[in-house]
Amino acid sequence: MQIETEASGEDTVLKVSGRLDTLNAKPFEGKLLDAVKASNGAIVVDMAGVDYVSSSGLRALLVAGKAMSPHKRKLRLRTLQPQIQEVFDISGFSALFEIS
Amino acid sequence: MIPPHDLTPTDSVDVDASIEDLPRVAEWLAGLAERDGWTDRMRFGLDLSLEEALTNVISYGFEGLPQAPRIRVDYFRLPEGHAGLRIVDNGIAFDPLSVAEPEVAESVDSARIGGHGVQLMRHFLTDLAYERAGDVNLFTLVAAPMGED
Repeated sequence: MQIETEASGEDTVLKVSGRLDTLNAKPFEGKLLDAVKASNGAIVVDMAGVDYVSSSGLRALLVAGKAMSPHKRKLRLRTLQPQIQEVFDISGFSALFEIS
Repeated sequence: MIPPHDLTPTDSVDVDASIEDLPRVAEWLAGLAERDGWTDRMRFGLDLSLEEALTNVISYGFEGLPQAPRIRVDYFRLPEGHAGLRIVDNGIAFDPLSVAEPEVAESVDSARIGGHGVQLMRHFLTDLAYERAGDVNLFTLVAAPMGED
């Protein structure tokens, strides 16, 4: 798994690639929470390079979403590969996050 | 299409009771997928389901038990292009299929963390079966080429 973080105006973009599996979920969650603390804008997770996600990866996104929610900040996801989109649809996570 | 007990596995791998061992198991599975020509959907479904199931066994299956953990995954090449995996472990008796599916959450605030693994397995696989045999759990996962039975 690789994560590149870049600023886009007020927002922070995390470009993720590789596997969001059980082993990678904790460092992914850490990067997300670092980004939550480091700015006040939205966080955008670019998933174009992610070819695998398990429930541990979903959990990391939910933890970050819950940390941002009281401050009315948004966690957005973009460019999900078809099977990743399917995982989000089946788990109900498509309805929890803005996906473009 | 659950493989019968007397069917000899095509391949097997022993798994350490450690999350750090999961990438090695995923590589083993990728090798089988390549060799036996699984469809992308079978590959994704079995990869995901095996990881979900092993994560549960490793994380919770041996809490408070005195015995050394033993975990093995057997692979069965089945008729009509189906592929079966059976996780055999000597941990606490636990039927993953007894877990209720998480309720559909309406917001990030109300969403429950966890409980989605079995939900995903049921979606991507055609057959799932649990059995306690003596002192071991047998959890079997089967995928079909077209996602149909």
